Amino acid sequence: MIHVHQLTKAYSDLKLGERLALAGISFDALPGQIYGLLGPNGAGKTTALRILSTLLRPTSGTATVNGFDVVMHPAEVRQQIGFVSTNTAVYDRMTAWEMVEYFGRLNGFEGEKLRASMESIFARLKMGEIRDVLGAKMSTGMKQKVSIARALVHDPPVLIFDEATVGLDVLVARSLLATVQQLRDLGKCVVLSTHIMSEAERLCDRIAIMHRGQFLAEGTLGELRERYGEQVLEELFFRLISQREDELCAGKTSS
Amino acid sequence: MRWKNVKLIFWREVRDQLRDRRTLFMVAVLPLLLYPLLGLSFMQMSQFLREHPSRVRVLGVGALPSDPPLLQGQRFTADVCPEGEQRLFELAVDDQEGTPARGVDLGQQARRDIHAGRYDVLVYVPEDFADRLEQARQELARSRVGDSQEADSSAPRTTLPEPLIYSNSANDRSRIAGHRVERVLLRWRDAIVRQNLRASHIPESATKPFQVVEADVSEEVSRRAALWSKVLPFVAFVWALTGAFYPAVDLCAGEKERGTLETLLCSPALRSEIVWGKLLTTMVFSMATALLNLACIATTGALFVRQLEQTAGMSSLQIGVPPVWALGWLLLALIPLTALFSALSLAIASFARSSREGQYYLMPLLMVCLPLMVLPLIPSVELDMGTSIVPLTGVMLLMRALIEGQYAEAVVFFPPVALVTCGCCWLAIRWAIDQFNNESVLFRESERWDLQHVLVRMVRQRGDTPTVGQAVFCGVLLLFARFFAPFILGGVPETWSGFALSTAFMQVGMIAIPAVLLTFVLTRSPVATLLLRKPSLGAVLGAAMLALSMTPVGFALGNVIRQLYPLGPEVLNELTRLDAVLEQAPGTWAVVGLLAVLPAICEELAFRGFILSGLRHSGRPWFAIVLSSFFFGAVHSILQQSIATFLVGIVIAFLAVRTRSLFTTMVFHVVYNASALLLSLNYPTVLARNPGLGKVLIETPYGIEFQPTVAVASSALAAILLIWFNNLPAPALPDEILRQALDEAPRTPAARS
Repeated sequence: MIHVHQLTKAYSDLKLGERLALAGISFDALPGQIYGLLGPNGAGKTTALRILSTLLRPTSGTATVNGFDVVMHPAEVRQQIGFVSTNTAVYDRMTAWEMVEYFGRLNGFEGEKLRASMESIFARLKMGEIRDVLGAKMSTGMKQKVSIARALVHDPPVLIFDEATVGLDVLVARSLLATVQQLRDLGKCVVLSTHIMSEAERLCDRIAIMHRGQFLAEGTLGELRERYGEQVLEELFFRLISQREDELCAGKTSS
Repeated sequence: MRWKNVKLIFWREVRDQLRDRRTLFMVAVLPLLLYPLLGLSFMQMSQFLREHPSRVRVLGVGALPSDPPLLQGQRFTADVCPEGEQRLFELAVDDQEGTPARGVDLGQQARRDIHAGRYDVLVYVPEDFADRLEQARQELARSRVGDSQEADSSAPRTTLPEPLIYSNSANDRSRIAGHRVERVLLRWRDAIVRQNLRASHIPESATKPFQVVEADVSEEVSRRAALWSKVLPFVAFVWALTGAFYPAVDLCAGEKERGTLETLLCSPALRSEIVWGKLLTTMVFSMATALLNLACIATTGALFVRQLEQTAGMSSLQIGVPPVWALGWLLLALIPLTALFSALSLAIASFARSSREGQYYLMPLLMVCLPLMVLPLIPSVELDMGTSIVPLTGVMLLMRALIEGQYAEAVVFFPPVALVTCGCCWLAIRWAIDQFNNESVLFRESERWDLQHVLVRMVRQRGDTPTVGQAVFCGVLLLFARFFAPFILGGVPETWSGFALSTAFMQVGMIAIPAVLLTFVLTRSPVATLLLRKPSLGAVLGAAMLALSMTPVGFALGNVIRQLYPLGPEVLNELTRLDAVLEQAPGTWAVVGLLAVLPAICEELAFRGFILSGLRHSGRPWFAIVLSSFFFGAVHSILQQSIATFLVGIVIAFLAVRTRSLFTTMVFHVVYNASALLLSLNYPTVLARNPGLGKVLIETPYGIEFQPTVAVASSALAAILLIWFNNLPAPALPDEILRQALDEAPRTPAARS
């Protein structure tokens, strides 16, 4: 469903020169699977997901979503995905219903098909109460629900969640994670990024631990536990990050 | 592009803006409040100004004649200052003898006193004024009594001393006071003249043998049209620009700030659809702002004028409502102009990360647009071929012609104005779409700017070929060099050697060397940048044939341009001097070498080498071709030559893109320049040596030209050759492939396995 090969993204910084936000990552995510990108802030998770959603173009490497190349067929890729991120806000001056309807239409849904899809999503996400509430009047949790509804309205085969639980209270976050699980059960390919270990542990079928644009480890939770002899994901994460930091420090010192 | 999506985005944005109180306030409420308030303030201010009396000090009252009197106590007499004007003066009459104290400079004293606010104006009557006036009268009387034949010789010889009005023109109150006092003194002088005439038994009519009567034959509606033709377009266009900017900032920078732009960008809508949706929204608000402001100005103005007419009796104002057709033409012109302003505003606003930052960008936009809109307000600026191709200025002048009912003039200049305006609109819209495709603009982060780091990055991270920005920089640099060249080199040298030296310096030093230096400093591959690729023999021969077959078209084009834009006397003078210098050349080979071969090498390295290679990174080959040709044309200082070289430049740049070799374009350039030179230089001699040419060439008032049959046949051959070049295999660059992919609408969303 998603095939990423040797993906790099370089940013040009006036002072630091060329800076690699992604340094050649590769992975495959399949339908009915939740693929987790786990990493600290600045690891490159958002960059990777922005490339998958065609907001950014990779410097090198390839990425395909449901067979469409993210560089050569960006519009087709966007039809295959639903993207929810902390940076994808809701319109302040639109109601929940209007906003979801708008994005449904942009995705080519019309008439009864759109209405049925929206009714189903509003019921599933329990959004009846906020149907006619303007975005500006919504709480953070309500806004996140609208974002998810907006991403789901065209029933895409791929869903991308970038730090989707940031800023949510426990109840809303729990509800969101339950929704993600449901989507996986419906056969969707879900890619999510997080820095919360418990979320990754609970949800992800495969996990990639990212640091400074690179994958430090990748596999199922069981594989990772077995490979590194560590049962607790948080400990495993810290160990890998610390090791990598030490290597980098040693490299700098020796050079 | 799918118009369904454009429509969807447009309606959403319109609804969103209508729900925004700030936008509604700017578009609808502000004009409703602003103009009545301004009108009210102006009324108050004008009342205040009218009632402000001028303080006048009169020095030397004792020297005033008793008849006719100027003063009556502390005020001017009613004969010289009607009752209505008396309130405008507060006199401080100095009863002393008229002589100022010895050594006192009255001018300096007046300046000090006016600055200190003691009075606004000083009137000084010289001490012997009355005596000399009387003396002059007596001389006049004697001349009447004497022989009429000696009248001329016995005319009064006494020179009247002049009353002096000291005012400070840098001080408004003083200046106004000076004018008021002058008016009173002139009336007093007229009274003295009348007395003199009576004393000489000459009727007053002798000083006015006839009256000049002006008759305005214009209709009232035409007078109104003439007034509104200047005011309406300016007001409407300025408000259209302002009205476009604020929604554009909200739709770009505002959405970035609120995080909703990313939401929209990850929908399947194409960037072009998003831009068109936002553009149409901005246009609607721009037009609404312009029209509402016009309506409010008209309503407030009409009420204001009516009140002035009633209260101040200013019935001569005659400012009625503008003619209906004026509003119709204005509405029509607002469509392309709001599109232009909206696209420019969107493109500029997309740079900003926040609404606040976006507001800062309004000033540069105004700085560019306002002078172009003010230019047509200058009375001497008229609609002609030159002004019609100036963006905005051309539209405003065309509007003026249409509103004034000069349709014949408007029809002639409509095509160039429409072409330039539509061209600017298209470029602005493309720019806005490119901005939305540019991730470094959409996801720009704040960064500390440092020239040293910029230069280091430019050199260290250079690519095989220059960037678009570096290409534009090179073009601008060459234009600067061209601008300053005459100051360094002077005019056309008198001798052949001087001319050869200055031309070589110009071509090599100011065109080729900067381009080659930039190539080595800013790029990794001079071969790729300067297209130093060996061409096929067919391409070289084809280029030479194309140049020859285009020569007749080039001659005809040159004559048409000279017909439209006649050469000025200064340019003609320069060209005559140039002809004289070229006659001193050691031979034709030297002229061809200097004016055909050398420019072909130097200009190709710069314009089709560095600049075109860089511009092709835009992903739009035709944009690169046209812009590089614009620089090529602009670097030729004479306007007529610039237009012709711009058009030829498009063909040469097309050859560069199709053959990917600078040698092909150099061959074209050499052959084209050489054939033009050989035919036009000393045409009578050429004709004498080759009598056969007389059958294919004709002389026109604008220069020689080929017979129409020859021109048509050679044009057909040129078209065939261009088609042949177009079919040559020339793989698109990666940027061009990417751009094509970005502009493509998605096909069916069916998944690929």
